[in-house]
Amino acid sequence: MNQDIVEQVLRDYDASCRPDGDPELEAVRLAILLEDVFGVVLSDAEIEPALLADAAAVAALVVRLRGGA
Amino acid sequence: MCGICGIVSYAGPPDLALLRRMTGLLVHRGPDGNGYYRDRRAALGHTRLAIIDTPGGAQPLCNEDGTVWVTFNGEIFNYVELREELRHRGHVFCTASDTEVIVHAWEEWGEASFSRFNGQWAIALWDRHTERLVLSRDRLGVRPLFYLRRPAGLLFASEAKSIFADQSVERAFDPAGLDQTFTYWSPVAPRTVFRGIEQLEPGHYAVLDRDGFRKAPYWRITFPEQGSEPMQDIQENTRALRERIVEAARLRFLRSDVPVGAYLSGGLDSSVTASVIARYTHAPLHTFSLRFSDSEFDEGLYQKKMSAVLGTEHQDVMVSPADIAAVFPEVIWHAEIPILRAAPAPLFLLSKLVRGNGYKVVVTGEGADEVLAGYDIFREARVRLFWSRDPGSAKRTRAAELLYPWMARSPGRMPAFARSFFGRRLDPADPALSHRPRWDSTSVLKSMLARALQDEIDRAGAEDVVAAMPPESKDWDPLSQAQWLEMTTLLAGYILASQGDRMLMAHSVEGRFPFLDRDVVDFANALPARHKLFGLEEKHLLKHAFADLVPDDILHRPKQPYRAPDAASFFVADRPAWFDEVMSEQAIATAGVFEPSVVAGLLAKGRRTGGENMSNTDNMRVLAVVSTQLMYEYFIATSGRGAQERALPDPCVAVDLVTDDGSVP
Repeated sequence: MNQDIVEQVLRDYDASCRPDGDPELEAVRLAILLEDVFGVVLSDAEIEPALLADAAAVAALVVRLRGGA
Repeated sequence: MCGICGIVSYAGPPDLALLRRMTGLLVHRGPDGNGYYRDRRAALGHTRLAIIDTPGGAQPLCNEDGTVWVTFNGEIFNYVELREELRHRGHVFCTASDTEVIVHAWEEWGEASFSRFNGQWAIALWDRHTERLVLSRDRLGVRPLFYLRRPAGLLFASEAKSIFADQSVERAFDPAGLDQTFTYWSPVAPRTVFRGIEQLEPGHYAVLDRDGFRKAPYWRITFPEQGSEPMQDIQENTRALRERIVEAARLRFLRSDVPVGAYLSGGLDSSVTASVIARYTHAPLHTFSLRFSDSEFDEGLYQKKMSAVLGTEHQDVMVSPADIAAVFPEVIWHAEIPILRAAPAPLFLLSKLVRGNGYKVVVTGEGADEVLAGYDIFREARVRLFWSRDPGSAKRTRAAELLYPWMARSPGRMPAFARSFFGRRLDPADPALSHRPRWDSTSVLKSMLARALQDEIDRAGAEDVVAAMPPESKDWDPLSQAQWLEMTTLLAGYILASQGDRMLMAHSVEGRFPFLDRDVVDFANALPARHKLFGLEEKHLLKHAFADLVPDDILHRPKQPYRAPDAASFFVADRPAWFDEVMSEQAIATAGVFEPSVVAGLLAKGRRTGGENMSNTDNMRVLAVVSTQLMYEYFIATSGRGAQERALPDPCVAVDLVTDDGSVP
């Protein structure tokens, strides 16, 4: 697993996602995707709009959760 | 598309008069001709809807020396390629029909023929020399095939009503079949709602000969182990999916000697199939749609838009609740199972529109939701799985609010209800995690059952479809497990039957489904789950593959399932008289399925509210009772509403090898 793959998935997500305006719900929506695609489990503290809004931070999080950090 | 029936009797020549009565009950499936074959052991009947080789394809049809006979309902879409292969192997063809390909394929490859067929079929082959009957049904159950086993033989038919033409057949509900219907929405093959009558499982063939009756699968619904899917590249998969769907749609549009129309629902799937036909064929396209007078259910704007984009000749039928009530008895006569939604009734009216416009064949988007993960049940499952990883998390609990954004009473607006509904039985190890909410909420219907019937069900023991999942399914992705359950239960038992074959064939219209093409299904099942359901975005790869053909607002519409007015249809002021007759306390008690006092309470609630704003469960309750009561009237009560047998015109094929004294020359 490397950061490029995560960023590719995030680009695809951005292209297909139609946000509904509630930042916390959007964080939940992205967390569902990340857990399914990458087989990780996020803590409540990580299902956080501020953290999940940043692609680089998300990529780093996924890599870390997968033990690649 | 056609109707088939037959009798095998090892105790003496089959009764030809019975075969003709059986055939007469299938005329709606094939009004263009009929035929029969009989020898000392077997009789085959056929009603024909002439689509391929109109002059030459009459049935039953045999091989060169008359030793193998076939009666066939459906289409083998790759028959042209198979015929060429068989010709090279020395077979001589007398017709241009796909039916004859079946006979020669059987001679050449035996049971291995079925895995070579790409199509939708119910087939009965009779080998005179070995006195062997072979039945076969397509992979996913597009075409129906029922049978009744007896000590000295068997009856089979496209519809159970044909088997009931034999007055000696017991007419009774099967408690286990009803139990499955009031859990999974339909019986699961081989079970039916009729005692003693079975249906051949999709993807199976059966053999009856002197050694007895046996069945085997030639194809199974299967998925790769999670994480070991062979094709991971989304660009490559997008191209490959498009290629397969285009070919599947082309085959279904072009391999017909009569014009083929298309359904347009206003959703993605039928927009894709109609767009592909418009782009990749040169024939003019005629499209048909269903409209609702109630704006809650109507998708007319999207239908009109898609039709305008494609430049099709377009027609629609507007359906009101009163229309649904008016045709409901006919719908049940054709569906042959209790139904928990009124949704088949408008489809009955849509096929009438198609036939009224002179069309015998339509291409539709059916199957895309199961094969490419479009249903909300898959999104629900993903939410439940996410939630189950930490059921106490306030953030994870909120995931349910992402479901059903289009609903007036959506989880986002009723979060407390959503938590209680979607949060039940959150066991991540449960292979049926996806389906528990549906099955549990449907099973509530059983609280209305009469005590005696409930006792019978308890004695029979519940048949759990989860126990029938293949052992290797424990290694599948949770989406694949959910897809297996959906294809095994709702697709075959309800979508393709009560909403598909039965409503289409009621007006002699054949449905063709590109998304259920062999190559599309095999390809889709091997995809990584994320290419189908990407987070909570349904049919991700399909949207990628056809983004250039489908307008953006249809491509990205939130998934809106096809629905119709339910209980409200039966509490309108001018409802037909039959409703009060079959729902009377006396009629309920006579049928013995439901507790009369419980039904009386339900009816009182319906009359009080006019059927409006009833709960989801109460809507299902009303539909379950009224459809079951009609089932009783039509198929169980000997003094019921009677069979709608239509007169048979003179047969096109009439081969009787039995002489008057019962011998065979």
